[in-house]
Amino acid sequence: MSSTIIKAEGLSKYYRLGAQGSGRFREDWSNWWKGKSIGGDEAHIWALKDVSFEIKEGEVVGFIGRNGAGKSTLLKIISRITQPTKGSVKGRGRIASLLEVGTGFHGDLTGRENIFLNGHILGMTRAEILSQFDAIVEFSGVETFLDTPVKRYSSGMYVRLAFAVAAHLTPEILIVDEVLAVGDAEFQQKCLRKMKEVSRAAGRTVLFVSHNMQALRNLCQRAFFLEKGELVASGDPGLLIAQYLQKESVQYLKQIFKDRDTAPGNDAVRIKRVELLPEFPAGGSVIDIRTALRVELEFWYEPPADTDLIVGIHLFSVAGDCIFDIASPRTTLKRGLARGGCLIPANFLNDGDYYISIVFVNNTTSRLFYFEGCLSFQVADYRENTSWYGKWIGHVRPDFRVSLEHENQGIDG
Amino acid sequence: MKETDEWEWEIDPGRPWFRWELGSIVRYRDLLFRLVRRDLLANYKQTVLGAFWILLQPIMTTLVYWLIFSNIVKVPIGDVPPLLFYLSGIICWNFFSDCLNGSMYTFLTNAAIFNKVYFPRLIVPFSSMLAHSIRLSVQLVLLFLVYFLFYIGGKVSAPGVSWLLLPPILLLTGLFGLGAGLIISVLTAKYRDLDYTLQFVLRIWMFASPVFYPAGLVKGSWKWVFWLNPLAPLIELFRSACFGIGEISFPYLIICIVTILSTLILGIALFKRHELKLTDII
Repeated sequence: MSSTIIKAEGLSKYYRLGAQGSGRFREDWSNWWKGKSIGGDEAHIWALKDVSFEIKEGEVVGFIGRNGAGKSTLLKIISRITQPTKGSVKGRGRIASLLEVGTGFHGDLTGRENIFLNGHILGMTRAEILSQFDAIVEFSGVETFLDTPVKRYSSGMYVRLAFAVAAHLTPEILIVDEVLAVGDAEFQQKCLRKMKEVSRAAGRTVLFVSHNMQALRNLCQRAFFLEKGELVASGDPGLLIAQYLQKESVQYLKQIFKDRDTAPGNDAVRIKRVELLPEFPAGGSVIDIRTALRVELEFWYEPPADTDLIVGIHLFSVAGDCIFDIASPRTTLKRGLARGGCLIPANFLNDGDYYISIVFVNNTTSRLFYFEGCLSFQVADYRENTSWYGKWIGHVRPDFRVSLEHENQGIDG
Repeated sequence: MKETDEWEWEIDPGRPWFRWELGSIVRYRDLLFRLVRRDLLANYKQTVLGAFWILLQPIMTTLVYWLIFSNIVKVPIGDVPPLLFYLSGIICWNFFSDCLNGSMYTFLTNAAIFNKVYFPRLIVPFSSMLAHSIRLSVQLVLLFLVYFLFYIGGKVSAPGVSWLLLPPILLLTGLFGLGAGLIISVLTAKYRDLDYTLQFVLRIWMFASPVFYPAGLVKGSWKWVFWLNPLAPLIELFRSACFGIGEISFPYLIICIVTILSTLILGIALFKRHELKLTDII
């Protein structure tokens, strides 16, 4: 049993919404002069409410929760970027926080200069950077551009260099927030491996926030689930992730508009309902790659004279790549309520986050209405009989057979 | 392993006025020097004239002052060669205003970094002052070069021991700029509309300091107000140490030093007290 390295007690953070005061000296001054009180009944929010936890040395802990649940605020307090309103955090050892890659990079300086600058900002000494320099350069793969100003780097190179510096930090506690959302899949993979190595081999404590559930599941030994600033659960990452996804997915799976006048659309098309209905295999309750998804759509239609209609369904990955664009046949509809839909089969999409946009096209050419990002959902991973735990690449993971066999059967048995 | 109650650090809502954590600056000294380097490199890499700009600015200003105040308006400055007189005033004033400008926008210009990573925030204004000190020393070399030329020409006497006073005078000048800049940095983070006012005040301040005229010209019953400006005794003392001209009143010098030290202490205390709170509003 190793010892506690971070201990948070009753951590709370209060934010006033909007500026404190007016942000202008003249106004604050004249308000004060006239005896007007500023503030008082301003809107406020508890970004964190009474959060307490202990983290053991060498543990890798993941934080799960929606945007605004308080994950980033929590990491910011532990990183000493902002102060708690109440409560305290105590700990031992140096902390390096990586809330964003490339913090402090200066465009006019060369890659070499920036390795040192960024390393120092993250708390490394010159000697530490020197001892890791070659490893950093090798990891980032930018050695030919070391003496080029980083503003001429491609965004991929920039991120690789920035992460390389961070990955070679040598603090006792590493705090990582969502940095894996950048870079290509291969590099992300490399980063994950590196982080695993850092925590397992060097025994460092890692606090980790990501929306990449696969990464969380693979890396973390323990997870904390935050909701509206409160720590609602902690424990096994797999369990918590499932809980989170289930809670989360309900939110975006349908949009229903009862009032035709305020529904999204225009004179020709008004949306009544868009809905994603998962067809779970027996016993399932989380959308994973085995789940078929039915998209349903109802709308009020007021056809422009003598025209036909095509409804197209566009599926995008969360990064904005279009995965498919399928369309209904040309149909002439009467005015009134209409419905449509499609079925995304099971074992088709890969795990990941997706969103759907629906387009209404008139006479095959003019766009009547584009209902952008009207549905969004997350597909969880599901694997059986495989020893590969990394992110499965690609947007689709269709269930085709790949055959493999001896060409000349029977010759050597 | 046993549970330990010996924590190395603690983060809490409290912020006493005098927890300055100056030790952490020593721990982060590599960052300090790296920022100085960045400051100098990034500033001059992209300009056509490069590092030569450090010298060009005081030279041009001196020539302009010489043209206007020696030849057109004719401000009496005593026996010192005008070029030396203006150059010394400009160097002192520039160092002060550079140190002030280098620290007064600390929170605004570094909001992005301050929001993402922890390091002792005081490093930023300190590094800016250090970078300006390097610029200052280059400019001092220029001053001494010009002085040497006048010495060969027989216009000024050989440097005396009084030159040893120059480093402490300049240190006080820089610290005053830094201290005032730290106080203002907290204000500019809160009030964006202070910017124009400040630049205006800074310009007036220069006219109120003996940059292009000797303090001896200031007469009348309001003279003491002029001397309360810590830069007045400093610039006069600089010229006195350099060229042996001007009069220094000892009481005003004491007031000047006390003002500077209290400004600096107030500046650091205010900065430390607000550094984390300001992250939430910028």
